[in-house]
Amino acid sequence: MSRKPILVFVVLAVLFSMVLSACQPQAAPTAEATEEVVAFEPLKMEAPNCDYGGLFKSMEAVDEFTVKFTMCAPDPAFLSKIAFSSFSIQPKEYLEQTGGGGEGSALLEKPVGTGPYKVSEWKRGEELIFTAFEDYWGADKAKTPTLVFRWSSEAAQRLLELQAGTVDGIDNPGPDDFAKIESDPNLVLIPRPALNIFYIGMNNTYPPFDNEQVRQAIAMGIDRQRIVDNFYPAGSEVASHFTPCSIPNGCVGESWYEFDPVKAKEMLAAAGYPDGFATKLYYRDVVRGYLPQPGVVAQDIQAQLKENLNIDVTIEVQESGTFLDNADSGLLDGLHLLGWGADYPDQTNFLDYHFGAGSSKQFGEKFTDLTDTLKQAAALAGDEARKPLYETANNLIKQHVPMIPVAHGGSATAYKATVDGAHSSPLGNENFSVMAVPGQETFVWMQNAEPISLYCPDETDGESLRGCEQVVESLYRYEIGGTAVQPSLAEVCSPNADLTEWTCTLRKGVKFHDGSTLDANDVVMSLLVQWDASHPLHKGNTGAFTYFSSLWGGLLNAPAE
Amino acid sequence: MTTHDMPQVSTGKVVSLDAETLSAKSVSLWKTTWRRFFKRKSALVGLVMLSILIFCAIFAEVIAPYDPLQVLIGVEPVKMRQAPCIHLLGCPQDQPQHLMGIDGNVRDQFSRIIYGSRLSLLVGFTTVSFAVVIGTVLGAVAGYLGGTVDNVIMRLMDVLLAFPSLLLAIAIVTILGPGLINALLAIGIVSIPAYARVVRSTVLTVREMEFIEASRSLGGGPFYILFSRLLPNSLTPLVVQATLGIATAILDAAALSFLGLGAIPPTPEWGTMLGAERNQVFTAPHLVFYPGLAIMFTVLAFNLIGDGLRDALDPRLAQSSK
Repeated sequence: MSRKPILVFVVLAVLFSMVLSACQPQAAPTAEATEEVVAFEPLKMEAPNCDYGGLFKSMEAVDEFTVKFTMCAPDPAFLSKIAFSSFSIQPKEYLEQTGGGGEGSALLEKPVGTGPYKVSEWKRGEELIFTAFEDYWGADKAKTPTLVFRWSSEAAQRLLELQAGTVDGIDNPGPDDFAKIESDPNLVLIPRPALNIFYIGMNNTYPPFDNEQVRQAIAMGIDRQRIVDNFYPAGSEVASHFTPCSIPNGCVGESWYEFDPVKAKEMLAAAGYPDGFATKLYYRDVVRGYLPQPGVVAQDIQAQLKENLNIDVTIEVQESGTFLDNADSGLLDGLHLLGWGADYPDQTNFLDYHFGAGSSKQFGEKFTDLTDTLKQAAALAGDEARKPLYETANNLIKQHVPMIPVAHGGSATAYKATVDGAHSSPLGNENFSVMAVPGQETFVWMQNAEPISLYCPDETDGESLRGCEQVVESLYRYEIGGTAVQPSLAEVCSPNADLTEWTCTLRKGVKFHDGSTLDANDVVMSLLVQWDASHPLHKGNTGAFTYFSSLWGGLLNAPAE
Repeated sequence: MTTHDMPQVSTGKVVSLDAETLSAKSVSLWKTTWRRFFKRKSALVGLVMLSILIFCAIFAEVIAPYDPLQVLIGVEPVKMRQAPCIHLLGCPQDQPQHLMGIDGNVRDQFSRIIYGSRLSLLVGFTTVSFAVVIGTVLGAVAGYLGGTVDNVIMRLMDVLLAFPSLLLAIAIVTILGPGLINALLAIGIVSIPAYARVVRSTVLTVREMEFIEASRSLGGGPFYILFSRLLPNSLTPLVVQATLGIATAILDAAALSFLGLGAIPPTPEWGTMLGAERNQVFTAPHLVFYPGLAIMFTVLAFNLIGDGLRDALDPRLAQSSK
């Protein structure tokens, strides 16, 4: 009766909308095609002045294949920094099309890079699949057609899968299993140099941690040797300074406090806490090279603080992402266990990221004497010239105790013995395009955790960065399995005499995964959206862009705090 | 005794049955129940196991050779996750004896297991008491009053039952924050519906019996009838349910702790111990084996007792098994 026309209408409407949605994707390429015809319009962004505190004065595309960076202060570590995967290049059009990130943006799930692999499918919670990119510019294309990332937070499970042969390589085998892997002829263990630091952080905005004496007392009241001896694998060492010694100027200045429970107790009493106090200890139950056994170490610190200083510690475990967010926003009102692995081998990567002017609120209020020293040091060229300043900086850290450096943890990766090109990277960015198992079309890698997102300008988690590094590339890159920098998307970046201007000549004919060609505007746009906090595409995953902010001194137009 | 002597003169089954009914008249329900209970070997085994547990819990200080929280680094020459060293089984005398080995934090595992029994029993009894009290009141009120009240309460219970219990407990703990007390509360809340249902169903049957009607005709108020007539006569199934419930509560608490939502370290809780060392299944199996065994032991004890009680309290089962 009267229902029939309605039914017909509904069916028609559904059909119509299906046709519409089917037509939608076709609209985009035509728009792009017309765009390509348009002549090259160089992008340029310039800060009005250098008062915002950061290192960049301007970034500009001079011509199609030349990018020029003008700096506010000389930066000798420029190449090491620009090679970092957070400053990877994606097509300008893709950034615009995806809106620069934000909730549900394709940018977070499927970066378009120039790397040997492209993201094929990310089954959240299960696996991340990459396929080799046919038009890769480099001489060596990916050796294995398909690369799969899987993850498990359990060291035992990772090893089990490797032994069973369902995965070809694993990250961070449990320290107890090192001997077992070494004695297994089917597996190889590749130690990873300890370019990392595990520390106990404190936020100086929450009492009693606002009292420097309390922080010093805690620093003296923890037996770090005992922690390393008992709970760390071979190859680990007690941290004498925040930065490992193998990094230039890493451990200059005074060594960390000796363990002295009696003096620590006296100091705590002098600070007004003769009977100790109650506080919390936060950590994430995530295994990293710098912290192979988080739960056990947390409990040992708890026991030590109780025994040596009568401080009652309640342990609280937080989910990894939440924990990092809370730490960065300065919400952790007690002690927290966190660590750091080198991204590039320079003091700035350790000290400036944590204690520099652009660092997060992780340790509360910044120490101006420390930030000033670090800024001066970062501007000097040459390790010798910077040495006195880093001595001062290390001594200041020892005095202020924003955190207690505990250990440089030795870790390793393990592979099947048949894997060609197996390596461990001291920076944690293993490159899988050079690995292959003869006769195998797929290479499966199992790491500790799932990447948080694949838009690495706004990620700090090593598990995410490793995923990005297979897909996207920066102007420079680190040698495989090492820390030296090599040209990548740039043929060369050369500075002017006083290191305040860097001119990069881009490699020609580099194809992105979406088929477009790399040009100077892509480079400028990729860095610009991170630099300029007021840019409409400055969204990312959380919008923090921690790496850019801390490596380059700060963000332009950052909202006032 | 004299009542027993007399029928034995006669012969045949009928007479012995007669004896049973006669004795039942003079012996209380609980006495016969106990008698039947003790006749079951499995129930006895359960009772012995429970006694061992309670003994351990009460005399933990005496039995445990170490403080469960004491870190033995520097105190004794022991290593993290060292295998058990038992002198009787050939472990050299110059090494300190650790019956269940050393845990990941270099503490004596045996002492932790012993102290863990306190927590587990505490968890079992408190959660179940909490759930029984609330469940009984809700169930009794629902069953006695009927109508809208019954509908509202029981639909609420149905909603609670519709969630998988562990998931619901996890949700509650997530809101309240991790900790043993919150975990207890969560498990308690989750197990309320089971008791409410049992009590309601028995109250529904008992309510229709003549003696209740008698009470009412004698002028007993609803409150009096409910609490001193109805409830005492509906206890039987509740006791069984509660005993079995303790086992589930302990299991649930262990599961929550395993997930890091229950007892906070360094509390020696079996689930937490299991969860902390789950990665070491192959390298240090004793750290996973013993807490698991302890949980199994406790749960089995309560299950055996619960089963025994159910059989003993059920008159039909009792007769058919004769």
